[in-house]
Amino acid sequence: MIITFLKHLFRSDQLRSENAGAQRKKPHAQTELSKNLGENLQLFQAIYADCSDVIFHDFFIGGKKRAVLIYIEGLAHVEEVDQHVLAPLQKDIPQGWTLTDVRRNIAVSSIKPVTTVDHVIEEVSAGNPVLLVDREKQGFSIGLSKWEKRAIEEPSAESVLRGPREGFIESLLTNTAMLRRKVGSPNLKIKAMNIGAYSRTKIAVVYIEGVADPALVKEVMDRLQRIEIDGILESSYIEELIEDNPLSPFPQLLSTERPDVASAYLLEGHVTVLIDGTPSALIAPATFFSFVQSPEDYYERYVVGTAIRWLRYLFFIISLLGPSLYVAVITFHQEMIPTPLLLTMAKSREQVPFPALVEAFLMETMFEALREAGARLPRQVGTTVSVVGALVIGQTAIAAGIVSTPMVMVVSITGIASFMVPRFTMGIAVRLLRFPIMFLAGFLGLLGLILGVILILNHLLNLRSFGVPYLSSLAPAKSRNLKDVLWRAPLWMMNTRSTGKRNFYRQTAGQRPGPAKSDEGG
Amino acid sequence: MVESGKISASQAGKLLYLTVIPTAILTSPAMIFKVAKQDLWISPILAWSGLITVFIALRLHRMFPGENIIQAGERIIGKFLGKMVGLIFPLFYLYLNGIVVREYGEFVVGALLVNTPLIVVLGSMVLVCAIVVRGGIEIVGRFAELFLPAFITLFLLIIVPILPDLNISNMLPVMGEGIAPSLAGTFVLQLWFSEFITYSFILPFVTDQKNAAKSIMFALGAVILTLVVSNLATLLLLGGLTGDYAYPFLILARYINLAEFFTHLESLFMAIWVLGAFVKICAFFYVTVLSAAQWMNLSDYKPIVYPLGFLLILVSLWVAPNYQEMTRAISTSVNLSIFTVFVAIPVLLFGLACVKKAVHKNKNRR
Repeated sequence: MIITFLKHLFRSDQLRSENAGAQRKKPHAQTELSKNLGENLQLFQAIYADCSDVIFHDFFIGGKKRAVLIYIEGLAHVEEVDQHVLAPLQKDIPQGWTLTDVRRNIAVSSIKPVTTVDHVIEEVSAGNPVLLVDREKQGFSIGLSKWEKRAIEEPSAESVLRGPREGFIESLLTNTAMLRRKVGSPNLKIKAMNIGAYSRTKIAVVYIEGVADPALVKEVMDRLQRIEIDGILESSYIEELIEDNPLSPFPQLLSTERPDVASAYLLEGHVTVLIDGTPSALIAPATFFSFVQSPEDYYERYVVGTAIRWLRYLFFIISLLGPSLYVAVITFHQEMIPTPLLLTMAKSREQVPFPALVEAFLMETMFEALREAGARLPRQVGTTVSVVGALVIGQTAIAAGIVSTPMVMVVSITGIASFMVPRFTMGIAVRLLRFPIMFLAGFLGLLGLILGVILILNHLLNLRSFGVPYLSSLAPAKSRNLKDVLWRAPLWMMNTRSTGKRNFYRQTAGQRPGPAKSDEGG
Repeated sequence: MVESGKISASQAGKLLYLTVIPTAILTSPAMIFKVAKQDLWISPILAWSGLITVFIALRLHRMFPGENIIQAGERIIGKFLGKMVGLIFPLFYLYLNGIVVREYGEFVVGALLVNTPLIVVLGSMVLVCAIVVRGGIEIVGRFAELFLPAFITLFLLIIVPILPDLNISNMLPVMGEGIAPSLAGTFVLQLWFSEFITYSFILPFVTDQKNAAKSIMFALGAVILTLVVSNLATLLLLGGLTGDYAYPFLILARYINLAEFFTHLESLFMAIWVLGAFVKICAFFYVTVLSAAQWMNLSDYKPIVYPLGFLLILVSLWVAPNYQEMTRAISTSVNLSIFTVFVAIPVLLFGLACVKKAVHKNKNRR
């Protein structure tokens, strides 16, 4: 009974995947272009039927032979096409020209021959006009694509006081160029591919040859190639489809909008995935500590960087355990609170009808609601939310006798603490995990809190990102790598790379600066 | 292979340290004080059982690389007898772990969560341990690595604030009655030091074997040092009262009074105790599960983790009707059975292995 059911399930699953395969199969894959321009034209007009933005420009090269230029309005640079392609081909071409002459006469540097129907479609979709000539089995794609894009701005989610202010934008080519400008070496490799049956989104896998582990690069490529989806609209689509543990609340790929962060990880031997149409680059592998580090740690003096890093660790723990600790202590371990403080707290809690757990749960939910409302609303309405929010969480709630003053303080501190986690994806995971721990603390006090932490740690210790343990450097410990975890070592001490054994030393040792040694005493 | 994970030698050392020390800190001062009086801090230094078990674990692994004491036993005394002896280990680890779990539960219920039913405290801990043990030796090792700094910090947080209140005269006279009382104390300490035989089950998964001996000696040294420090601290603070408390070290935590503001920090002690007990229970539970799976020739130990966890809860309830009975059992029958299983059997096996080897060599020479 069960077996037949399972068989049925399995079969239907198989059927579905076969169907999907059939849909994906393109009708004219690898079809060669015909020698007859009329046939080609008919084919493409059929493919692009009801596409009002596709232009088929019919003209004669040198006034003799018929040719067609196919491009998409708005994706191709029309003025340039007129000036550098149409003008020379119609007027300046010598008598008795060949296909090579056509190529030479087009005053554009990026020009590629195309021979298959598929290739033509791909080039046209990418915005490159394609020239097809009568009696020739070969056409040309002309690299004159141009579309509207955003100017390069400072990414608002990852702002720094000191450091570069440029951020990735939605155009893949601009992004790869930014990386290339940071890492000039030809060892910077950029592998391109298209993902998405309909979206045909361009993806670039970037790594530094000789630094990144080839096995890692291969693993990333393999996982990307396994994706079969209709469209990729944001980097998170890719992230969800290639991560190690899809059920975990913790992010397993680092997404950044900063080219300097991406380059720093490239130099450490990580692989970056850039996706057309989104300003976030994905970095693999990522460990827990990459989510609680900010680029600013490295741009400030190392003492300051270290101190800020520890402050961040502290508040990370508070944002995870703050309310639970309060609930546990106030419900089970009152003796831990110094007596004078206990008396004030008891006075404040006197009128509150709820147990601490309910109180904490109420306020934390309220806080999350306010945060979410503030994030989604237009800026003009946002101020209203914050004013009302301050009233709800603040004074009136206490005056109404619904919550106690210490609770409000704990919730606000936790709220601030959760914003101290530099990466939003990690911050939200922590905020989410706060609630189950709160319940455990409400039921078993500190013991429940510890058990909850153990369970979270167990998950983190089991988690891997592209084969790298999530808590690596700390557990499993690599004392050499702790220089970038427990403290931010000065740059002249960061002599080794954290990942992989390839190209282990990143710089010469003993670069500690200092005044020149002189014999004369002061 | 039942286990595919690997851990480093330093992880193994840290794991062993955290396996042995937590319960030892908790109850050993009172128990040794009864026999060694003010010389209780000398007893850990004379701990012979730790040296013996560590030596046997290392030598047996050198004779039979990649095999733990049960597998080696099958080679030494034959398949059938080996299986018989091999059955003792998972059962005894289950029993011993039951005692540890019960100790943990009794402590938490007695000292902190007075109104919580014992079964809830036991059950939640065993469930968490079962979840962790399913992750394999790698995860258990990493937990030890992660918790060791926390454990040491908490330990120092309890010891350092009471330093001004220590009274040196409490330890006098040193060796007033010779070395005999301290030696008698080592027989009590044998309870914990013999647990070092657990290393035999972990050694096959250690990647850097050349550091294995170093790291375990380090762990043994650290255990001795920690016990000397904690025993001395309790003795110097409590003096003759040390033996009157069930958990003298807890009194230390209660005694802390920083600037009249931070008082009653026994929750700190509970944190240290829960962390330590967690690693200890995990390690013992892992050995139970692993040796049971090997004994039954299973290809994977994961399926038996939860059933054995359930059994562990039951055993922990069965070991004694109440805490007083259990402490009495610990100082009498448990002490003897630990000596039998963790010291006598390994020594016998090792002796037989040596004899066998010598005979084999002689035969070859002829």
